[in-house]
Amino acid sequence: MGILDPLYWVVSGVMVFIHRTLSPVFGETSGVTWTLSIMGLVLLIRTLLIPLFVKQIKSQRALTALSPEMKKIQQKYKDDRQKQSEELMKLYKTHKTNPLSSCFPILAQAPIFFALFTVLNGIGKNPPQARGTFTPELAQQAAEAKFLGAPISETFLGSGNLTTQIVTVFLIALMSLTTFTTQRQLMVKGMPKMDTSNNMMLQQQKILLYLFPIIFAVTGVNFPVGVLIYWSTTNLWTWGQQYYVIKRNPAPGSPAWEELQKKKAAKNPPVDGGNNGSVAVEEPEKPKGQRIQPKKKKKRDK
Amino acid sequence: MNYLMWPFLVLIRGWQKFIAPGLAPRCKYYPSCSHYTFDAIKKYNILGLLMGAWRVVRCNPFSHGGVDYVPESLKLGPIKIGAR
Repeated sequence: MGILDPLYWVVSGVMVFIHRTLSPVFGETSGVTWTLSIMGLVLLIRTLLIPLFVKQIKSQRALTALSPEMKKIQQKYKDDRQKQSEELMKLYKTHKTNPLSSCFPILAQAPIFFALFTVLNGIGKNPPQARGTFTPELAQQAAEAKFLGAPISETFLGSGNLTTQIVTVFLIALMSLTTFTTQRQLMVKGMPKMDTSNNMMLQQQKILLYLFPIIFAVTGVNFPVGVLIYWSTTNLWTWGQQYYVIKRNPAPGSPAWEELQKKKAAKNPPVDGGNNGSVAVEEPEKPKGQRIQPKKKKKRDK
Repeated sequence: MNYLMWPFLVLIRGWQKFIAPGLAPRCKYYPSCSHYTFDAIKKYNILGLLMGAWRVVRCNPFSHGGVDYVPESLKLGPIKIGAR
């Protein structure tokens, strides 16, 4: 028994369970069944992480009340980035709210990712190694299951199969693209504007635009197709989740937030002004903001 | 500083340069966990590595974060480390 055995059991257990459930629908040996069992693993993990995500969004919302103070800090320490972050962190702490997510969501997924990698790699061996809840027959079956014609246990480097190589390149491109668009979406729309510091980040983003495909390409050629499916699915989920939040519940002060305020203002124009759209656009902030602010300010004055 | 710690410092720098910028800013503390661990290792060697690990654990969804520098000196029961 190795330390990681429990993880192998969990990962393979989920896969085998989904496989057994879907077998009557798509067929036992079908690649669709095995592909979906990998994707199901992603869906399960990400669903379990949703409460954390909601918690984070809630604390971001609580920031609306703090935004005047945040602006003050940003003004005061315009030229001193270190002092600025320091003061912001202090502010978060005194108000017991923190919009940042911490590394936990990543760290929680890393062992699962590693376990899946090992399980799929074992399946890719000849003869297939059955880890966790896999029986030798199931391992054999999974090894032969295909995603778009490429066996899910094969890697770009380990296979001379052209289809596998095309599929891995496609998945690596998908991973790079989703990572990049997710980041870009956040940078351009989802983050409060912070003058120069944001520019620096955008600069870094541009470098990463070229760097990420390279990193993914270098690592991805060693990964079995199944792992690439897992990675791509998780990226798509991240993107979708972020899209939803930026649309529906953006961080205060971000461009998306301003857009939403404008939209809300346009939808519910001031009663006295009639239904003329132009009137509403001219005073976008008025309907919002006065609701929460006074309460929180009192707290601060204590 | 112990040269055995070099690989860790290189890893941390690599993380900061190549991986972290691709993620959204996420650390609840200032300085960030990677920055903290880097400083801690420089100051306390292998103990710093443990301090860094503990910092990452502390930076979880239930913590409120805050400003948290590597302490100037450590007190482990009767033992004092790093005091000048």
